[in-house]
Amino acid sequence: MGLIEHQFEENLLTTKVDWLINWARLSSIWPMTFGLACCAIEMMAVGAAHHDIDRFGAGAFRASPRQADLMIVAGTVNFKMGERVKRLYDQMPSPKYVIAMGACATGGGPYHKFGYTVMKGVDRIVPVDVYIAGCPPRPEALLEGLMKLQEKVRNSSVIRRPARLA
Amino acid sequence: MDFQGIHDHLRAIGAPGLLGVDEPRAMVPGEKPGHPKDPGRAGDPYVLVDPNKIVEFIAICRDDPRLAFEILMDLTAVDPKADDPNLWLVLQLLSIERRHRLSIKALIPKSNARVPSCTAVHRTAQWHERECAEMYGIKFEGHPDPRNILLPDDWVGFPMRKDYEFPKEYHGISCE
Amino acid sequence: MSSESRGSIHLDEAPRTLASGEREFMLDVHTQDLEVNMGPQHPATHGVMRILIRTDGELVTGAQPHLGYLHRCAEKIGENVEWLQYLPYTDRYDYLSAMNNNLGYSMAVEALMPGLEIPRRAQMLRTICVELNRIGSHLVAMGTYGLDIGAFTPFFYAFREREWMMALFEKICGARLTYSYIRIGGVFNDSPPGWLQEVERFCDVFEEKWQEYYDLLVVNQIFVQRTANVGVISKAMALDFGLTGPMLRGSGVDFDLRRDMPYMLYGEMTKQKVFDVIVARGEMGTLGDCWDRLYVRVVEMMESIKQVRWCLDNIKPGPVLGDIPKVLRIPIGEAYVGIENPRGELGHYVVSDGGKIAVRCRVRGPSFVNVAVLEELLPGTLLADAVAIVGSTDVVIGETDR
Repeated sequence: MGLIEHQFEENLLTTKVDWLINWARLSSIWPMTFGLACCAIEMMAVGAAHHDIDRFGAGAFRASPRQADLMIVAGTVNFKMGERVKRLYDQMPSPKYVIAMGACATGGGPYHKFGYTVMKGVDRIVPVDVYIAGCPPRPEALLEGLMKLQEKVRNSSVIRRPARLA
Repeated sequence: MDFQGIHDHLRAIGAPGLLGVDEPRAMVPGEKPGHPKDPGRAGDPYVLVDPNKIVEFIAICRDDPRLAFEILMDLTAVDPKADDPNLWLVLQLLSIERRHRLSIKALIPKSNARVPSCTAVHRTAQWHERECAEMYGIKFEGHPDPRNILLPDDWVGFPMRKDYEFPKEYHGISCE
Repeated sequence: MSSESRGSIHLDEAPRTLASGEREFMLDVHTQDLEVNMGPQHPATHGVMRILIRTDGELVTGAQPHLGYLHRCAEKIGENVEWLQYLPYTDRYDYLSAMNNNLGYSMAVEALMPGLEIPRRAQMLRTICVELNRIGSHLVAMGTYGLDIGAFTPFFYAFREREWMMALFEKICGARLTYSYIRIGGVFNDSPPGWLQEVERFCDVFEEKWQEYYDLLVVNQIFVQRTANVGVISKAMALDFGLTGPMLRGSGVDFDLRRDMPYMLYGEMTKQKVFDVIVARGEMGTLGDCWDRLYVRVVEMMESIKQVRWCLDNIKPGPVLGDIPKVLRIPIGEAYVGIENPRGELGHYVVSDGGKIAVRCRVRGPSFVNVAVLEELLPGTLLADAVAIVGSTDVVIGETDR
């Protein structure tokens, strides 16, 4: 992911640095304003007052991929859009995370069988960290997906892995 | 005006390219319900029009004061069967002033799917025709901007034809 | 490249003296034509539409909308799945007004079933849901249009009421966004106990809040100055481009399918003069500008409330689903049914050969037609106004691309 992950030997200091960096990262995951289809409306609902994604530090929707940490792929990706999704992902600075929101982004969803232009899952072009089921998922489900992602970030480390695992 | 009135008026003014009319009808009585000869038809009536004169036809529909079809609501095509020799071109007209509708159908042979473009009469036809062209492979002659609209530019095949085969991969991404 | 088209700035030789005594320098700026992509990922295109804009400085000299970034093959799917199985797909092309799409599709299929009778309670429930959904859709249109212009607050206000509306739908059918509630032949189930009373409470509260929106956004001086006289669509142009719904009424054409070619219960309501059709009059500027279009949408919400109230007053117990077999076989025929969707006329053209699966299931999406006008409307405006104009079309990309 980032530049400093898995770069250092384990000692007391790195454990504390780990905790600090992870805490800072997981408390300010800024998503990209990137709505594709129906799920984007639920993503907007999460951003609005009732569900309030700001409680998790992820309410600052950035219009530019260069400022974003998280890409929420909210909706169906077809081949024409797929190239753009890949490019947007490449433009994001590391560490970067992807949430596949809803059935379409996860695996084609209801368009799997007869959708000739629909990409059967966004993980064919970008790596996905968290999949959220639902068509569309409820706002609570997206919040849970975000919490799962925070858990993942909390467990990442700057400590160098043993050579056999690396 | 109801459909009968519109049709009579079209006959009276000698609308160019008017071929016939098809109205919903009940199943012929006394037939076996399983495989009747004429199964009847439900739904809307429509007029059949010669595809080569369709532009003149909708122009007169728009300009005639008693018809006054100002809006071309929809322009689409239908592939009725894989082995059918014809495609249908279906237009829906709406008159705001007179508050009536008209369905128009024209049969186009699949072997030579060409039809003049209606863009000069109704600007709204432009995008509908682009969609029809990429989905059914109909060539609209005289269209100002004949590019694909929904599909990528390098898409192969006409997806809405009944004999269309779904792609296996696109730009190295599997479609399975 | 000639030197004319290169960027260069030089001072006008003879500066003018203004009445105040100040001297005004006229800058003669030559700029280069620049092609800018607006979208497909852009906060103001309401989804994944891409507009290729050619600019000369701040001036837009050409615009070309590119669609297809959300093409999901809905029409092909309609030819491959059974009649009733297609219903959930109708939710997904205009995901802001899924109830209206359900209704349009159901009515088109019902037009091929001459003997079918829709129970009156089902029609009432249909009308309530459709009109509530229209309010929800216009709320999003208003909220996001505020965002485009630079006003953040209306978005939060709009989503507050929208959440309640979605909770109401969740109570009646279990889904927040994609309902599949209105079925061929009626509706999926009866309303749960207490639901109609809650709808009434919603109406009461909404009427109060509506005034807030109106004062906060619609007659806000900043908002008016951003949108009045911008993006003017004349009546002739609106008809030529086949615009419908608030786009057409925003240009001063007095036409609403619910009143003028009534379907369902709207004919009865028209006779009893339950609701009015809101037509823009160009109050803040030229007739047919962006402000007029938003005005029509916002005021229309109150008309929807009146229709809902009429239904609440007249609804009586009874069955909610007509006589429909489990596996539908639709008689041979073809029908086009257009209904008034929040964005305009939503047309469904269905063709049946008597089987379980449609031969053709065409959707005439109002957004698809309404967006085409941008090609004509954007050239000649300023770049900042382009965002206001795109927002005023209230486009839902799921519907333009289907």
